[in-house]
Amino acid sequence: MKNTGLLSIALLAATIATAQNSCSTAISVGVGSYVVSAVDGPEIPDPICAQNGLGNTSASEWYAFTATGINTITVSTDLPGSQGVDTRINVYSGSCGSLTCVGGDDDSGDGNTSIASWNSVTGVTYLIAFDNRWSSLGFHFSIVGSDPVNALINFTPQTVSVSGSSLAVVDMDGDGLDDLVAVTSTNINIHHQLATGGFSSTNITTTTADHSASWSLAAGDLDDNGFRDLMYGSGSGVTFMIANEDGTIFHEVSPPEYIFTQRTNFIDINNDGILDAFACHDVEPNCYFMNDGNGDLTFIQGGIGDTPDGGNYGSLWVDYDNDGDADCFISKCRGAQQPSGINQLLQNNNGVFTDVAPLVGLADNTQTWSSAWGDFDNDGDMDVLVGASSFQNGGHQLMRNDGFTTFTNVTVGSGYDTFTGVGHEHVTYDFNNDGWLDIMGAGNVIMINNGNMTFTQSPVPAGIGAMGDLNNDGFWDIVNEGTIYMNTGNNNNYLKVRTIGTVSNRDGIGARVEVITAQGNQIRDVRAGEGFRYMSSIGAHFGLGLTDAITEVIVRWPSGIVDHIMTPTINGTLTVVEGAHPVGIDEAEAAELNLFPNPVQDILQVTASTDLSNAIINVLDASGKQVLNATLINGRFDVSKLTSGAYTVTITKDKTIMVRRFTK
Amino acid sequence: MFLVFTACRKEEPEPTPTDPGTPLPESPVVFDIGAVPYPVLSTYNFFDGALADMIPVQGVLPFEPLNPLFTDYAHKKRFVWMPVGAKAQYAGDGNPLDFDDGSVLIKNFYYEHVMPADEQRIIETRLLFRRNGQWEFADYVWNADQTEATLDMNGATIPIDWVDDNNVLRHAEYRIPTESECFTCHKNYDLIVPIGPKPMNLRNSFMFADGPMDQLAKWQAVGYLEANVPPNIVTPVRWDDETQDLQERVRAYVDINCAHCHSEGKHCDYRPIRYAFSETSDPINLGVCVEPTEDLGSLYTYIVTSGNVERSSMHYRMSSDEEQIRMPLLGRSVAHDEAVQLVEDWINSLSPPCN
Repeated sequence: MKNTGLLSIALLAATIATAQNSCSTAISVGVGSYVVSAVDGPEIPDPICAQNGLGNTSASEWYAFTATGINTITVSTDLPGSQGVDTRINVYSGSCGSLTCVGGDDDSGDGNTSIASWNSVTGVTYLIAFDNRWSSLGFHFSIVGSDPVNALINFTPQTVSVSGSSLAVVDMDGDGLDDLVAVTSTNINIHHQLATGGFSSTNITTTTADHSASWSLAAGDLDDNGFRDLMYGSGSGVTFMIANEDGTIFHEVSPPEYIFTQRTNFIDINNDGILDAFACHDVEPNCYFMNDGNGDLTFIQGGIGDTPDGGNYGSLWVDYDNDGDADCFISKCRGAQQPSGINQLLQNNNGVFTDVAPLVGLADNTQTWSSAWGDFDNDGDMDVLVGASSFQNGGHQLMRNDGFTTFTNVTVGSGYDTFTGVGHEHVTYDFNNDGWLDIMGAGNVIMINNGNMTFTQSPVPAGIGAMGDLNNDGFWDIVNEGTIYMNTGNNNNYLKVRTIGTVSNRDGIGARVEVITAQGNQIRDVRAGEGFRYMSSIGAHFGLGLTDAITEVIVRWPSGIVDHIMTPTINGTLTVVEGAHPVGIDEAEAAELNLFPNPVQDILQVTASTDLSNAIINVLDASGKQVLNATLINGRFDVSKLTSGAYTVTITKDKTIMVRRFTK
Repeated sequence: MFLVFTACRKEEPEPTPTDPGTPLPESPVVFDIGAVPYPVLSTYNFFDGALADMIPVQGVLPFEPLNPLFTDYAHKKRFVWMPVGAKAQYAGDGNPLDFDDGSVLIKNFYYEHVMPADEQRIIETRLLFRRNGQWEFADYVWNADQTEATLDMNGATIPIDWVDDNNVLRHAEYRIPTESECFTCHKNYDLIVPIGPKPMNLRNSFMFADGPMDQLAKWQAVGYLEANVPPNIVTPVRWDDETQDLQERVRAYVDINCAHCHSEGKHCDYRPIRYAFSETSDPINLGVCVEPTEDLGSLYTYIVTSGNVERSSMHYRMSSDEEQIRMPLLGRSVAHDEAVQLVEDWINSLSPPCN
């Protein structure tokens, strides 16, 4: 009798083992605990939702779970009965043969067990596949439902077929939509985002880049043609890939100079209105390329971070002192406690860069490869999270900008004192659009800003990568190689500001964008090149929480020109063309402002329908540099000292700014 | 397995003048310490006959570390030369010898069976010389005719195709280093240091022109090394000696290939591993079951995951050609297949699993 009994159990086990061997024969399960005897079903899950790719995956076990409510469902193999077996979980919606990932995990549990969570919709059946990427041994798992986690942050993986390393999410063609860019040394693969959703993928063959984008990639429009160019940073130098007039061909420019390149950026270093390029040098002083606007890039080494043996890993251009020009923070790292490991804040004084880190409390030797700069407390200046790549010389440091003269260490109690992840990348974006900048660094974690300079760890399925808005829903998405983690969003409002420079560089890189609402103000700097390796969306992206109206958007351009946009439409993209939005004067009125004579010799006369007495006059030359500052007296100002050329004048009266051009 | 020397060197008979390694006063090397580095290699007169034959003149002594650094499978010929009266001092089994001013370490990098002509090609000759108590770099890049090499510290990347010892056509993007790249590896705090010539790498027999001899003994015989070197030098095994224990072979390999960055006072001492031979008797310093502090993705649970090559970041980095992933960081563009195999075998041999 005993033998028969054992046989019955064995038969039953065999039946179960066979039934769950494929998607179409998945066993229905509810909340509870289950035993899997072995992972031996012959179906290979497609797509793989968990990290770490297909690898040696050859078998799987399938279960179906039908949601009875709106809950956060968690499937976990982190149970004593699993004995630490190296499991992996994929979770899908849809039907067999056309599955869509909704969750997945590898290794979040103890040992190498896994825990996958997703938010369920009532009545939907989810398919759960455990695969044998690592082990075919049996294990235990549980399914638990809980009230929906109000994390305000969730991502859905979506696979894309990319060629090369997915290094950038940036609008390449000027249509206002972020594209996904993957590169190899001979190919640029662009997934152009379509206005109707989805992508159209193109591969553009290039000459073999002398220097590949192994350490970093940056994007920016070097030649102001509306199509962004790329800069590859390698251990031996940099290569520029310059887009032609319609973005269909990239022309290689590879300067011969040796640079052990780390972070690369685009920025107008000398503020002449033409975008330049910067490259951190690992083992020597930093290097940069001055652009003359005619296609010539002049190599310069020295002047912006001159530690002889380098240590320069993460350059980030930020106007830390709100004086209208971009300063440069260098996240530094070096063994042996050398000076090359001490971070630098290079204050920009008319193109002369001075390290003020010792004066303001940022000359720290934390081993860091990148730091995240943003106004975390929304008080109108840029704070910084100095992100550790190793805890050898201390951990992450959250530094609050107190009046530009002091950065106060507010790490204790911020959540960063207990966050143990270390990594190369640290970036800040408002991932949940609640109006407070969050931070992403190492591990699959976003540090959600609680609004009081403290942060809460929120696990996410994605690791750090290039970021942007790849479905134009106003929420930051994250790319990890061939997977886009689409931010599932929430009900928060947002505004994306796209800057198009005219006097300043076309991308508006270096512009300061301010959003003013009845609930408070926020600031962003327009940047090209944040974190360590990747290139994320250019522009200013604001979460608004439940705030449903913006009083004013102010764009302060590198040229000095200021645009004011009153009550813009929210939950979309606001495109601001430099100089197009002088405030307080309607277009009809502005049209009545005239300068004469034009061309002029000595005295310019201004006529207008409004009173302009004692208005402030700022004259910029063709390079965007201020050459004259005067007061308008009797409707006249003196330009006799100016040399011949084309000029832009801004006339400021109270809060009204008008821009005109003249020739001398 | 190693010779043990108990006799005081001073009591040995002076080497005969016919010994080609003897630093006779008439050593023809030209080395004016106020004038070096010379613009071209031939000026030093290190070599006899055709420069490319690399036949040392009197006083230029060949040596070869027990475990050599891997450099894209390049062959190397190394020599040491010292001026009259100079003598290196012992400074510890695992530390470079302490050299006197005027000492020169000469390292020629070359390939054989270089395609398409199936010929030998010397790419560069790197010098480390000591002046005013400090080491300095000088790198000489060989011309196409292989008749001269010119001082060049600007670095270059040289594509090279050659047929290896197994008759396999291989390709490398060979890197001639810039001065700052030299320093990245040859560094101890802020000082330039040699890497290879340390007693534990020289306590072995080498085939000199006049026959085999223990290298340290030879250096002493020619007057290049002080006499009071301890008789028992602790040495690793040869990394490629398949009769030896896997972990001991790995220890030998990482000492010469990795410890110049992963030791206290070196370029990457902020990472948790410690690869100097004197430190790797503790497997934790080899990264066994130690979490990486670099975020390479969740695949790589530990630097070395016992029994699981695919979850070991050390294996990933050693087998990768991508410059942002590969280790060592500098000095190779292709993987060292034999070393990767060694590390694979070693990781697979490790148990119990990490947890």
